[in-house]
Amino acid sequence: MGWREARRISDVAFTEVCLQAIYAFRQGAAPLSGGLTGAARSARRRVVQSKILVAVVLGLVAAGGAGILADAPHIAQRAFFGVLVTVPVLQAGVLTGLLSLDVAFLWWTGLQVLPTFLASGVLATIEPLPIDDRTLGRVAGLLYLRLFDLPAIVVLVATPLFVGLVLGPTAGIVTIPGVVCAVVFALALALVTGRAFVRRVQGSRGGGGRTVVRWTYLVLWVLPAFAMFGFSVAAPGFLALLGRTLAAGPSVGRDVLLAVFPFTFAALAPLSTGGTASLTLDASGVAILFVAAAAYLLVAEWSVAWLMRSVRRVGLAPPVAPREMEVSVRDVVPHGPARAVLTKDLRIASRTPGYAFLVLFPVLDALAIGLFTFVTGPGSNGALALALAAVTTAALLATFFGPAFFAIEVNAYAYGRTLPLADRSLVLGKVALVAAVYGVAAGLVLGITVLRVFQPAVFLAFIAAEFPAVVAASLLELALLFRRARKKGTPLVSLYAGAWYAIAVAIPGLILAGIPLIAFHLLAATPVFSALLIMGLIALGELALAAPLALGLPGRRSA
Amino acid sequence: MGDDGAGALPLVIDDLSVVYGERRAVDHLSLTVHRGEIYGLLGSNGAGKSSTIKSIVGLVPPSTGRVRVFGLDVATEALRVKQRIGYVPEASMLYEALTPREFLEFVASVRGIPRLDASVRTNAFGAAFRLESELDEPIASLSMGTRQKVLILGAFLHQPPLLVLDEPLHSLDPRSVRIMKDLLARYVTDGDRGVLFSTHTMEIAQQLCHRVGILDHGVLRAEGSLSDLRERAARGDASLEEVFLSLTREDEGLDEAVRALEGA
Repeated sequence: MGWREARRISDVAFTEVCLQAIYAFRQGAAPLSGGLTGAARSARRRVVQSKILVAVVLGLVAAGGAGILADAPHIAQRAFFGVLVTVPVLQAGVLTGLLSLDVAFLWWTGLQVLPTFLASGVLATIEPLPIDDRTLGRVAGLLYLRLFDLPAIVVLVATPLFVGLVLGPTAGIVTIPGVVCAVVFALALALVTGRAFVRRVQGSRGGGGRTVVRWTYLVLWVLPAFAMFGFSVAAPGFLALLGRTLAAGPSVGRDVLLAVFPFTFAALAPLSTGGTASLTLDASGVAILFVAAAAYLLVAEWSVAWLMRSVRRVGLAPPVAPREMEVSVRDVVPHGPARAVLTKDLRIASRTPGYAFLVLFPVLDALAIGLFTFVTGPGSNGALALALAAVTTAALLATFFGPAFFAIEVNAYAYGRTLPLADRSLVLGKVALVAAVYGVAAGLVLGITVLRVFQPAVFLAFIAAEFPAVVAASLLELALLFRRARKKGTPLVSLYAGAWYAIAVAIPGLILAGIPLIAFHLLAATPVFSALLIMGLIALGELALAAPLALGLPGRRSA
Repeated sequence: MGDDGAGALPLVIDDLSVVYGERRAVDHLSLTVHRGEIYGLLGSNGAGKSSTIKSIVGLVPPSTGRVRVFGLDVATEALRVKQRIGYVPEASMLYEALTPREFLEFVASVRGIPRLDASVRTNAFGAAFRLESELDEPIASLSMGTRQKVLILGAFLHQPPLLVLDEPLHSLDPRSVRIMKDLLARYVTDGDRGVLFSTHTMEIAQQLCHRVGILDHGVLRAEGSLSDLRERAARGDASLEEVFLSLTREDEGLDEAVRALEGA
């Protein structure tokens, strides 16, 4: 059997990966009444849509980078932290950022999809078939590559193309090795770290201490998603560092910079157009650059071979490493039903990166803006505005992701429905989760900025005034989701597969969460506490309208 | 469960039909589980056992008929019915991302079981099934048999007056099967509780059940104690397996099928 056969098998197996990714049958989701053929087609279509979405983002990143490259002569006229950088240095800096973002996005994409790929169990299904070892390895490798194909192709084509269009064909061509390395390294990083996360997070035992470890891992797991934000914040400092280091001539710092990926490759484009003088490089600098580039290409080649060998091994390994038997004597501690739903969801999220992302993203986003506010303080109105923006973002993100928490019920859907759990308890548990995400995010911003923002009372009142609106929005979204589930008489999994509906119900939720925020900004001319009072009253009014709708659902006592 | 109707039977199924599209999985089924009784639901693959059970626990709405648990209608009093049922599903579909202890905490919370009772029962079952070292492992990493034990533990956690068990013993090790058999036999001795369980394993049904019902293509072909069924099948000292095959006419062409396999 050759590559053609491996490709044919991987094509069939990939349909299974898509099916599990979308419909979660292996997680206990009920079979669909419409039949599997249609579901398989739909699953593949949805996965392609997701890939297109990531590919478009990466294409836009490349186009944005090219735009900055084209504008480099103007940008270079300003100083970064007092350092003037030349156009070639600026170009190298932008390309470094571009390649870093490519790695971050592809790595992050891999971290999102790898748990699903491993959970699909597709390699374990193929393994017993009469297929030779080499073909099995190829099937596994191809399956893994297919998770990234469209985004990777966009990175490989769009980045050199845009660079070539702006800086000339030679610059475009010399960018290719760097882009290839970026893609290969991202795929390898995703496999190594993804597997580690699956073991440390999904395979983690119960207990308080381990919960902290799990959430710490998950924070690290989400961080690449903030690459764009982090880079845009750090860019001026990075450019100043580049300018200073390269202008100073030969030094250990400069040699390290030249040897560090992706700067090694980013420097090649300005070198190809402006020569060694453009980056003030001597012979030793050029030698370091080329030796480092050659070494990275060798590592990339080795990484490809390693990937092709390892995907199969990783895909077949059990999710939890064997360990010593450990007996715990902890009690079973029941709570009220709504709190039980909240605790269950948080525990599931702590071992399911996809759901953890929904919890952590609003919190980390608020944290990032809060830190930015802290750095850019002190105590100006601008800082207060930024801090309020962080809380606003947290409110809107928590509201937007609310419907997705409903999809957690896909887990053990059939079993869950046999428990005497009232709709009201389920709704309250989910709303409590959204409210907790908002509360933690807002609290973090408050904690970080309290030293910089001189109006903590205003800030606290703003958080409190928006809180009822976040709860109202979440209640409305859940009420709409419940109504649909009842009307269709289908498992909730249908909502999960039909993500468009989850997004559709988030729109009225966002409107509810947004109205008090808009009111506050419209009332900017009035005294701030009057504006906050009106904002809070509007939010309470929304809550008064939404609560009966959600908690007074027809058949609310049915489970 | 103090408000059980006085004298109400643990389970009354009256003229139940379950239809999926064109297919009739259960066809006008009526049966009763009495207090102090273990009722075995037997049938071949696709006979309608699981559909019947799913109707009892509220997973599948009946197309016709009614299901009542201690006098409560499943269709109109779902929550109260679910409080009275302990259920082990056919497939071990659990919250994969939880540990058994976390799962049991959720079940205990939803069912309102006091902490002491939940802990004592969890530890007792854990010890009996030798689950102690796996109570804090993620369910995703557990074997099929261990998952089945967790489901059984979840079903017994609130000591329900009605147990509804869909193939509860499959994938259990011999020790756990023995424990389950003894436990079920003792569970109904108080004369108030009832158990309905489906199985393919005739020996277990023969050992455990006070009465069995034989489902065939959604229709209840026969019902009664083993001696009743022997009488009905005119098989004086036959085993339950022989009676089952005879009543469902599954014994027709059996020898030919085996011979054809030998020659294949």
